[in-house]
Amino acid sequence: MNNLTLHTSHLTFHISHPYPMLSISYDSTFDGFLSAVFEIYRQHLDVGEFHGDRSTAPCDLFSQPFRIETSEEAATRLKRAIENYASAEILELLHVAFRSEEDGIEMKILAYLRKVFDGKDPNYAKNPTSDEMLPLFMTARAVRHEAGGMLGMVRFSKTSDGTYFAEIEPKYDILDLIVGHFRGRFANEKWAIYDSKRGYGVYYAGHQLAEITIPNLADVTKATPPDEMVRLWQDYYKSIAIKERENPRLLKRCLPVYYWKHLPERQYSRC
Amino acid sequence: MDIREKLNILSAAAKYDVSCSSSGSKRQAPKGGLGSACSAGICHTWSSDGRCISLLKVLMSNACKYDCAYCINRRSNDIPRATFTPKELINLTLEFYRRNYIEGLFLSSAVMGTPDRTMEMLIQVAKELRTVHKFGGYIHLKAIPGASHELLYQAGLYADRSSVNIEIPTDRALQYLAPEKNHASILAPMNFLAERKLEYHGERSRYSPKFLPAGQSTQMIVGAAGESDLQILTLSNGFYKKQQMKRVYFSGYVPINADKRLPALTTKPPLVREHRLYQADWLMRFYKFGYDEVVDQAHPNLDLDLDPKAAWALRHPEFFPIDIQTADYEMLLRVPGIGVKSAQLIASGRRFSKIRLEHLKKMGVVLKRAQYFIYHPDTPACLRRLYPEMVRPLLLPKPQPLQLDLFSNQPLALPAAG
Repeated sequence: MNNLTLHTSHLTFHISHPYPMLSISYDSTFDGFLSAVFEIYRQHLDVGEFHGDRSTAPCDLFSQPFRIETSEEAATRLKRAIENYASAEILELLHVAFRSEEDGIEMKILAYLRKVFDGKDPNYAKNPTSDEMLPLFMTARAVRHEAGGMLGMVRFSKTSDGTYFAEIEPKYDILDLIVGHFRGRFANEKWAIYDSKRGYGVYYAGHQLAEITIPNLADVTKATPPDEMVRLWQDYYKSIAIKERENPRLLKRCLPVYYWKHLPERQYSRC
Repeated sequence: MDIREKLNILSAAAKYDVSCSSSGSKRQAPKGGLGSACSAGICHTWSSDGRCISLLKVLMSNACKYDCAYCINRRSNDIPRATFTPKELINLTLEFYRRNYIEGLFLSSAVMGTPDRTMEMLIQVAKELRTVHKFGGYIHLKAIPGASHELLYQAGLYADRSSVNIEIPTDRALQYLAPEKNHASILAPMNFLAERKLEYHGERSRYSPKFLPAGQSTQMIVGAAGESDLQILTLSNGFYKKQQMKRVYFSGYVPINADKRLPALTTKPPLVREHRLYQADWLMRFYKFGYDEVVDQAHPNLDLDLDPKAAWALRHPEFFPIDIQTADYEMLLRVPGIGVKSAQLIASGRRFSKIRLEHLKKMGVVLKRAQYFIYHPDTPACLRRLYPEMVRPLLLPKPQPLQLDLFSNQPLALPAAG
């Protein structure tokens, strides 16, 4: 009897893992991710790991690498399917959650999509508190929160040719979520916002947004002439605070130290 | 005097004005112009006292002809005085705005000459920003009590929000502390602007300029004249209902002037009380509480140890604990530890599945407080009752451990052994 149990368990092991699991990689874009999900469905792939190229998570030695190229058509088809099975808002929410670049976000979204597409519960997609949706919902909320805060924390400095240049290092990949705001607000200025953590930025000169990469960021910051307004702003920041009410804990909760690096008013007080 | 010195003087003079919000107005950048307004408001930074900085908050001038006891700019104070020229102020606003330091301008002023003259200067700045520079950012203008209706109306056309500070919650105390002011003179411009806004809303077309799109706000000093929280909240409830105020701000009194009519200079600002008042204000604005529920004749002051929502819940054990599966949304909002966002999530999620404890945790519900006021499928039946006297100590913050001095002669108050 004992012998038999051992034997069956041995057998099941072999049946469920006839081949090594796949470690799926794609180009770190949302379209790339959707194409990968599309291929997973089309080829019935057995997913063990799911990482973008930018990910730094360690790879499992025993799974087999499997590269999926981005296909616009596949991504569009999957987007349409998500809109039909769930809604356009859910698609947007998944996109925002994807921007968190959190470890394992791909597997979480995949788990959610599997539930949506298996069709067992027609109301599943409407439930924001399901086991698969709730973490995505909270992640998306965190990403939107940072994007909202970043609208105020971008600091432009005036370069010698009159372009306003800002460097940011957000936790999440939110540049796309905030450029629309600045495009509307500074429609007649020349400006650029550069995400130096991810190495890309956006440049606007009155008509269209263009993506830019700057190989040597130090050159740009060094070439910026000293600006009287920065000093005035630092002065203003200091004199608007009420000394009797100083509250460093509250300050750090509202404005995490992580963001101080690119805020001229906070740098002043540290020196 | 150079611009830097003026900015230092006139922003320090404006710092006791609490309002710095840039919300309530939505505007796209004017054609060929600069700046927009975002209806949620945007905080640009936080000062070292933890207050949000969203606008360039300055006085036009601090050379005041009044002598209000609580004010730093009063006539009898010996402080450096300065006045901006409109051009300096406009330039500063635009340059700060282009660097995304600020959301717009908050312009107030001490009264120089007549109220009309002061109001005219404020309007001149706003008008020039809007018409000459096509500025689409946020402008908050102070309405000066005593200014003519014509001028107030003009201010409403250029500003997003205007405010007059009521300063002291009771009329008698205000007249005692500020001999040139009384409640009636402060309410007059408020009422005028509130009426014009209503009237204007009825007759405007899509092409006419907006009139005070972000409404009005006001502010009162807390802890300078011995008023109760009931008086304060009754007054602010009146402002929300009658004058259609968007916000009422509270400013814990920071002693700045040595004056025998006011608390001594060594008094600490009542920060906890101010915080509790804001919490009560939030309950009135977002949690569907009536002001007379938060405080009443029997409890005219807010509990400083407990937030007003928990205090209300403990005064009303008959409503709790509630079943989160079936309770009304209004009741969910009243549970300490559940905020608006989690209440909405619970209300939309419970139609599809049971909400369990681990869901609540993931939603960000503060279970430390909420656990005593709700039950869910996992609560044993014996715990489905609220005993306020047992729960209250559990909700209070833990006392900080005291470092004892080895060599002092103080007797130790240790619990009796045995």
